[in-house]
Amino acid sequence: MRTTLAVLVVLAVAPGAAAGPLDAPGAAKAVVCSACHGEGGQSPSNVMPILAGMPSWYLKKAVDDYAAGRRLSPEMEPYAKQVLQLGVDEIAAYFAGQTRRPPDVRSDPAAVERGRAAAGQCVGCHTASGKGDPAKGIPDITGQPPGYLQNQMLLFKTDRRSPGDESLKALKAFFKTLPDEQIADLAGFYSSLR
Amino acid sequence: MTRFTRREFLVTSGTGLGLLAAGCAPTIKGDFSPKTGRRVVVIGGGWGGATAAKYVRLADPSIEVILLEPNRRFVSCPFSNLVLSGVRTIDSLTFGYRGLRNHGVRVLHEAATAIEPDARRVRVGEGYLQYDRLIVSPGVEFQTEQVDGLGQAGDEVLHAWKAGPQTVMLADRLRAMPDGGVFVLTVPPVAYRCPPGPYERVCQVAWYLKNNKPKSKLIVLDANQNIVSKTALFRAAWQAYPNLEYRASNKVVKVDPGARQVTTEFGDAVKYDVVNLIPPQRAGTIAVQADLVSADKRWCEVNHVTYESVKHQNVHVIGDSTIGLPVPKSGNIANAMGKISALAVVHLLNGKEPLALAPGNTCYSWVNDREAIAVVNAYRIDGGKVVQIEQKLTPGQSAQWGRHAVGWATSIWNDVLG
Repeated sequence: MRTTLAVLVVLAVAPGAAAGPLDAPGAAKAVVCSACHGEGGQSPSNVMPILAGMPSWYLKKAVDDYAAGRRLSPEMEPYAKQVLQLGVDEIAAYFAGQTRRPPDVRSDPAAVERGRAAAGQCVGCHTASGKGDPAKGIPDITGQPPGYLQNQMLLFKTDRRSPGDESLKALKAFFKTLPDEQIADLAGFYSSLR
Repeated sequence: MTRFTRREFLVTSGTGLGLLAAGCAPTIKGDFSPKTGRRVVVIGGGWGGATAAKYVRLADPSIEVILLEPNRRFVSCPFSNLVLSGVRTIDSLTFGYRGLRNHGVRVLHEAATAIEPDARRVRVGEGYLQYDRLIVSPGVEFQTEQVDGLGQAGDEVLHAWKAGPQTVMLADRLRAMPDGGVFVLTVPPVAYRCPPGPYERVCQVAWYLKNNKPKSKLIVLDANQNIVSKTALFRAAWQAYPNLEYRASNKVVKVDPGARQVTTEFGDAVKYDVVNLIPPQRAGTIAVQADLVSADKRWCEVNHVTYESVKHQNVHVIGDSTIGLPVPKSGNIANAMGKISALAVVHLLNGKEPLALAPGNTCYSWVNDREAIAVVNAYRIDGGKVVQIEQKLTPGQSAQWGRHAVGWATSIWNDVLG
């Protein structure tokens, strides 16, 4: 009897797929993203954001904004349209379900400390933890590569991200008061938060 | 689980290489690694093949994957034009295959010599490997016979179009060229690997000459009627290089290394001090020998969803050797095809319907030592065919796109090999 059971189990398993990381719902549709955003959305570079663990509401908003040209990016606009056609809900849910690892690119410890001292200006919206407030549409800005965070802040400062968006007017005015060096420090600090 | 027979170990290890060099290596004979479960064999460990091998393992670790790649190191063609200008070293573009082994891919540094689709076998030397499905990613081969004198020229005339020793040799020749010398670069007719690649190379050579040998000249002889890719962006970038002379519709048909001269199809002779002749191209030789190419004997037609050859069942072809999809022959496209074909193969081996996934293409070109331009293409599957959704270009050149290019390379090298 035991032998029979064992044989049945083997027969049931042998011809089917052994579970791999691409069996997760949405994983197959997200494979094109990994060229730039890394396997499972764990971007290894200093430039592209880590999508692993990104809340789905924020990723969907980003894709919508890129596709509509509100966030200006010659790289992301075509891909955002591709993602919308493939099914953004499934892809966003997949990335949200991936466990985020700390960025491969580490920040300069001195910059992190300077950024920590300057971050008091940010907690009003992004909260003390940096995790934001989804109910108000305030995103989590922790644990991203420092180069990505720095670039986004500079895009706000120079009004090249979502130009004309009334809801971002105060944010952009605030960034205009910050020297570029302090923006780099803030990027280092928020990148270091977990 | 990776299992090597003693013979495989000898052949693939340093010991085996030493024996091969001494002429007494154990010969691979017969079915040298009998198949015990489901097996995918991948021919070619470049952008397409390495990615495909890894992603088959990621999609279904119960499938055995054997990758056949003669080279022990992977050298990235993207960024290799920067070696000519001295901005990058070849070492910074060179990677091993350990990452694939960590995924359980059996990497054999051997050349596939023939494909037997009916028997589902790949010949390797005097032996063979059996497969359930085969993924062929053979890259391009040069049609040296299209240029008179090229076949006999050997290393006197360099293509440097497969990153590696020739890239370093061409960089050395550029450095050794006297100030006041003429560098001639020839562009083959489409279709060829990396449409914007020759024009990026023009930028890198011109930038080097401008800064190091300002009395020198770069003459570009292009077989095509105009710059093939990112046309306006390259035209704008070339404004910075007064030492550059671009001649469209100038197909080179002859080279004479003794006289240091190339000749165009109109009979115009152009003298050079250093030449970089990028020859016309076709699919890698094994694809031609295995009858995977179309009637033109040049490129391989495939199913746009599964990448299965239209000529042979259970054989999938990816990367630069394919034709018929509205995509460039780029590393990024080969990487995407590698992933999509791997998923299709796994679905087919598990009796499932393959998913209708389309590739994407992000392509940066360096126009000097720190600025880049880019073109991005998105696609979808419509009626079983790949169709383009949109193409976007950067509005100009900038250091920001240069930083993005570095990010892209960091990420995609890891996606291919990590």
